[in-house]
This record gives sequence, structure tokens and C-alpha cells, in this order.
Amino acid sequence: MLASLAALVAAAGTAVAQPPSVTRHVLPNGMAVVVRENPVAPVVTASLQVRAGSRFETAETAGITNFLVRTMIRGTARRSGTQVAETAEDIGGSLDASGEVEAAEIRGEALARHWEELLGLIAEVALEPSLRGEEIERERRLVLSQIKTRAETPFSLSLDTLLRELYGSHPYAWHSLGLKSAVERLGRAQLAAHYRAVFRADRAVLAVSGQVSRERVVRAAERLFTKLPRSGAHEVGAAPPAAPSGERRVLERPAQQAQILAGYLGPGLNDPAYPAFRVLGAVLGAGTAGRLFAELREKRGLAYSLGALTPFRTGPSFLVTYLGTAPENSAAAEAGLLAELEKLRRAPVSDEELARAKAYLLGSFALDRRTNARQAWHLAFFEVIGVGWDFPERYARALEAVTTADVEAVAQRYLNRPSIVVLQPPPR
Amino acid sequence: MSCPARLAPVLLASLLGSACSAVTPSSPNPSEGSMPTRRILVNGVRVVVQEFHASDVVAVQLWVGVGARDEASSELGLAHYLEHMLFKGTVTRAPGFVEREVEGVGGRINAGTSLDYTYYHTVLPAPRAIPAVEMLADMSVNSTLSEKTLDLEKRVVLEEMRLGEDNPRRRLSRQLYELLFDGHPYGRPVIGTSELIQVLTRETLVGFYRRHYVPESFVLVVVGPIIASEVLAAAERTLGRLPRSGLKRLPLSAPDAGRSARLEIERPGTQAYLGMAWLGPKLDHADTPVVDLLVSILGQSRSSRLPQMLRERLGLVSSVSTAYSALEAAGAVTVTAQLEPANLARAEAQILRELQRVRERGVTDAELRRAVTAAEARYAFSTETAEGRAYAFGRAETVWRLEEELAYVDRLRSVTPAQIRSAARRYLDPERYARLAFVPPAR
Repeated sequence: MLASLAALVAAAGTAVAQPPSVTRHVLPNGMAVVVRENPVAPVVTASLQVRAGSRFETAETAGITNFLVRTMIRGTARRSGTQVAETAEDIGGSLDASGEVEAAEIRGEALARHWEELLGLIAEVALEPSLRGEEIERERRLVLSQIKTRAETPFSLSLDTLLRELYGSHPYAWHSLGLKSAVERLGRAQLAAHYRAVFRADRAVLAVSGQVSRERVVRAAERLFTKLPRSGAHEVGAAPPAAPSGERRVLERPAQQAQILAGYLGPGLNDPAYPAFRVLGAVLGAGTAGRLFAELREKRGLAYSLGALTPFRTGPSFLVTYLGTAPENSAAAEAGLLAELEKLRRAPVSDEELARAKAYLLGSFALDRRTNARQAWHLAFFEVIGVGWDFPERYARALEAVTTADVEAVAQRYLNRPSIVVLQPPPR
Repeated sequence: MSCPARLAPVLLASLLGSACSAVTPSSPNPSEGSMPTRRILVNGVRVVVQEFHASDVVAVQLWVGVGARDEASSELGLAHYLEHMLFKGTVTRAPGFVEREVEGVGGRINAGTSLDYTYYHTVLPAPRAIPAVEMLADMSVNSTLSEKTLDLEKRVVLEEMRLGEDNPRRRLSRQLYELLFDGHPYGRPVIGTSELIQVLTRETLVGFYRRHYVPESFVLVVVGPIIASEVLAAAERTLGRLPRSGLKRLPLSAPDAGRSARLEIERPGTQAYLGMAWLGPKLDHADTPVVDLLVSILGQSRSSRLPQMLRERLGLVSSVSTAYSALEAAGAVTVTAQLEPANLARAEAQILRELQRVRERGVTDAELRRAVTAAEARYAFSTETAEGRAYAFGRAETVWRLEEELAYVDRLRSVTPAQIRSAARRYLDPERYARLAFVPPAR
């Protein structure tokens, strides 16, 4: 029963549920192209990702990758930003871009019959961005507004504060939108230099999923992306080590709910301990059987929203547990949350709990990869960060193999001295 | 399909996260699978089944024709509260059944309550389709609604209310509806009020459950790699055996002419939020596809008019968008924006100028073509998953008609620029609208 959904979904894709055909091809300039033929719906999605993002930034450049790719879709040598948007919409689609932590993405979707125009538009944006001054200023204003919104939203402010506590001077400490101080100052020359450094064939992957033919996509990609330079001399410096504070920070903000977050650093996705660490997070936060839901919501009615977060990171990942509660219940909820974390460290999980957590994780992972957009993102992401587009299958097998002893070992190793953030309204 | 007309304006989830993120409203492309089978059981339960082999995941949904609009003024929040309580156990299923029967096999379940309907949605490995039908049927009439869990869940729902208050966009949407539909059932908060929730008794909740959770209110939708006849047989032996109640849902009267109202509310933070709303056509109205396209041209894509003018050219807002919710008895057209407080008056004036421009000069052929293509694409993308299809069938069958849903994109294709201009004149009066702003506290 455990692996059923994951196995079934992974095998899905055609009218007779044949495995969808995924292939990887390397263009003469070194750029990888991953294609997934999926005839289910008359649509196509594409994800062009480059290995860049906040992981490679410093406090002085924090946000430069997101700022760059957001500005890239604001116009090319041939089209204004409005024309780029109109062209995408004319083919039943849209074009968007974002810089994340491990990778930056230009993504598009369209009706399948326009697949070639979609790839053409993505190539144009990736190869001929104009980075015009007025567009840079427009985007700067929007990004600064997004940074401000995060800082005024109780949950995101609390999470961002906790990540700073966990990572210290490591670049995982800040959100991929970047730091206000850096985004305010970045100029065209820096954006252009960053563009030249990261839009390189050997650090780019194009993934396409939808009602397309593999051969035709590969031929089109060869033609469209041939001018993407092979490689740059851009070396990635080692990030400063992450150093969790293990402190408890209190933020006072006007809000109806108090936010309570507690977190730890964990292994990166290449670490053999990573699958067990994800299972550990699922024991706490997965679904209605997760310990946090069962104990703090169902038994004690302390929260509506609560859970546990663990991301895919090549460097040290994290486990963050969170809940929102009435300010008068803040102390009880914090004690309850910490008690659950401590319990996990002191006693092994049962076989049943392990099986449930694994089923939940495998189900989530499989369900999340059923649309073309999510497939294209996953294929490009895992390929571009260096673990291969087929990482999900290996990861699913590794999750299935996790034992209670593995979970106990990661709990002992990683759940030591949480860093805590409590956001609450000021006393009246 | 995910055209703007079908987005539920106020949809609350009961278990984890937001209901809105769970599915995209959608409808199938008949060319990409068999047409759905529709059956009405002897007691009035409607069943819609589609064999869809995109993956081995099945979507099983139970739709109930009850929402906030069916509540008496002393019952505000009951439809939503009941939806939470249906996950707490039945006479034969102990609490924890969700985990055992759904999550334990890698599936998911959640539910949402809106003004017009409540629905329970699951995705599961296909072999679990029949057990899921049995489970939903059991929840729909045999939930225990125990006193103890009722009291505990009050705390959870009160937390959900607080969470909503801390989210400016959600709060803006709710209060804008209150302002636009003042005095009409669509102006009520789906989540209810804390005063009523705190004094809610089991007797009241059970009364509401018995009154509304009846065969005539139920629509069962199953989409996935299943055999339709087996699902229909399972529906017959579960939901099909319930006695008819004789319930006829009362039709809701249309609200009075759109209100002119202005409200400014202080809330923490340094940014402002602006909402403007007009009454639009109800779901079952000839103008629905026309207003859908009008709203799309005004503010639903990067190249649409309001984002281009207010965000790109004038830099007055950090975001602006339009929405159209076509409800069973009325529609709402809304414009919402996030901006610096100093720009509020100018932004509002500019939005009105843009509306005036459409009223006077209409839209271009290129804009109309783009909006129709966008609708066609949303439709196509929504056919990717079983739950996307099931959502469209369930919603149409509950508050509209399945055949209308299936023909909707063709109706969009026949809309002309002249119709769009006249719809702008009919519905978007620049001198009569509800306007709500959240502004930072005065220092």
C-alpha cells in the first residue's frame, strides 16, 4: 500500500498509462535539453533554468539573480516588455521568471500547437535581453515592494527571521527576493555582468513537457540556443559555513495571531541522511496524522495552520516547524511545539508512524508532479543542480528504504537546540 | 474551465492550507477523453463519472448544495463549521479515518465552503475509488458531530478567523463583498462570526446537517481510470439508498441595484490595499461570457489594460488585477490593487478612466482574440488532472448545468467587441460602485 500512489503516478502519462517518455539530450554547446512527451492535454510547458540564485549571492548582491531574470522578461532587442507579454498571450500562454535559492528560471506555457513559438520566445528572452534602464527601474520598484510585503506579513517575516538565525552569514539566510539594501543599489552594469556570467550553456537546462515530439523539440532547441556561450570562467566561491544561533527571538508586531516557529539545520539532498530527515519532518508535519496536527490542533485546538517545512537544498537544508495561535495561547503553544520536538529526539517512532509518514511523503511528491508545468520544473531543477532529472525516482526509492533507526539517528543528530522565533502583538 | 466567472469568491478549507490552491477550476476538453456520464439516482442524488486515463489517480468529490447563503442570520458560519466537523468521525468510522483511509495510502482529502456550495475533494490511487465513494457517503449522513469535538473545533475555527484577519488580501476580498452585497446573503462572511461560533450548540449544528445534507443536495463526481458502471453501482448502493427528504433549495433573490459605498479601514503595515466592486451578471445569464472576456482584457494578464497603465506606465501600484465571480444569484466584478498610500486617489481615478475608455471606445480585435485564446488555454491546462475535471463537473452540476459548462468555450468564441463595450456600459458604472481601502494607521 505504501508506495502505491508514487509508483502509479510516476508511471502515468498516456491514454493507456504507459510511462511517459523522458529523454535527455546535450546540445553541441553543452546545454542539456530534457523532453517529456505527454499526450494527455493539448498544452506544452517549458522551463529554462540556470544554476544561479541566492545560494551564490553575497549580502552586497542579494537578490541580483531574481532581479536580473525578472528584468529579462521586460524586453528584448526585438520586443518591448508589453510585446513579449502579448506574444506569449497570443499563443495561449504566459511567460514568467524568478530567481530562487538554487536556480533561476524562465518558464512559459502555451497551447501545444504553438510549442515552437514558445521555445523561440524563451530563447529570445534568454539570449537577447535588452535590460533597458527604465525597465530596470520599474522592476526594482516592484521587487522592493515585494520585499516590503514579506516584511509586513507575519508568517513570512517570522520565517525570514528564523532563517537568518539558522544560517547566519551563509547565503541561505536570505530570501531569494534579496535584501532591500542590495536591490536598491544594483545597477545595469552589475545586472549585465551577472547575465553574462550565469546564462551559459554548461550551467543551463531546458526542460519541455507536453504534447510535443522529442526529435522536433531537440532540433528546435539546437537551432534556438546555439548562440548561448559554452561556458564562463564564473567560479562559485564556497559559502561561509551556516551557524545556527540556537537563540529565541521575539518580534512585536500588531497581528491577530501569534506566530511560533522553531527550526534546525539539516543535511543537504546529496547527504545519505536526507531522506530520513524528510521522513522526520513528515512524522511531525504530514497531514492529519502528523504529530503537530494530531496533538496541537486536534487534541488541544491551539491552531488552524501549522506544519513542518524542509526544502531541497544542495547545502545544509532545514526543518522548520510552525504554528499560528491566539496571542493568549502563545506560551502554551510554544511549549507544546517544543515538547513534540523533544519527544522525537527521546523516543523512536513506531513502525506504523514511519509507514504513514513515508506514504504521505511519496504521495505528495507524486501528486505534485502530474501537471506539465510541475514536471518541467522538476526535470530542469534536478538536472541543473547536478543530481540529474531522474533524481525523483532515486529519492522515492531512498524514502521507501528509511527505517525507524534511521529516523532516530537523524533526530539525535540534528534536533539539538532549536532556534526559535515568536511574533506576537505588543502588550496592550 | 478556469475562466474567471467560475472562481469561488470566498472559499475556505478545513484541513490543511488553502482550498483555493487545491484545484484549478476547470472543465475537460471532450476531445481528450470520453464525455462524462451523468446519472440521477431515484432519490435525486446526481452522479457524474468520467473515465480518464492520464494517470492512475482518481478524483472523488462530493458536492453539497449548501453554502453561506443558505444560513439564517442566527446560523452564520454553520455551513463552514459543519464541513470541518465531517472529518471528525461517523457512527462506524472512528476519528482518524482520514489518515487511515486516505493519507495512509498516499491520497489527499480536503474540503471547501463558499457562498453557494460545499465540497469534499479527494485524490487517491485508482483502486481506492469505490472505498472513497463509500467513505464520502458515510460522512455525508452519518457523522457523529460529538459534543466534545464540536467544542474543540471552535478553537480551531476561531484561529482560522484570526489568520484571515492577518491576511490583507483575503480580508479585502471578504469585506468588499460585504460592502457590495450589504443586506444580501452574499454579503455574509462564509466563516461566520466569533460570537455565533462561540455559542454554537450541537443541536443547532445537527439540525442544519439534517436539513441540508440530503440526497437532493448531493452531487458525486468521480474522474479517473475507473469503470463507470462500477462507480455508478457503488453510488446506487450507498448514496442511492438514502430516503428523499423533499428539500427544495429556495432560490435566492437578486440583490438590489449595486451599491455606492466607500469605506476606509486602518490596518497595520505601510502599504495600502484598494478594492472596487460592481454587480455583474449571475452565472446563468447571457452576459456571463461577455463579462468574463471584458474582465480578462481589463486586468488578468501582464499585457492587460490596468496592469499596463497603472503598474507599468504610471507606476501607481505594485499590483492590480480584476476578477469576476459569477454566483448563482448575482455576479461581482472586482478590481483590487496593492499600492503606496499616497497613490490611492490617483490610482482610483485612473482605474475609473480606464473603465470609461472601454465604455466609450470598446476593445480591439487583438485584445478580444487574446482573451479568447487565454480562456481556451486555461481550459486546456485544466484538463491535465482528474481533480481539475472533477471540480468543473461538480461545480457546474451543483450551481449551473453540466452541458453549459461543456459548451462554454464555444460561447466565448462568439462574443463580439460590440458586446463587450455594451457590457462595460451596463455593468461598470464609474459613478456607482463599492470602494474599500486599507490604509496604514495615521501616525
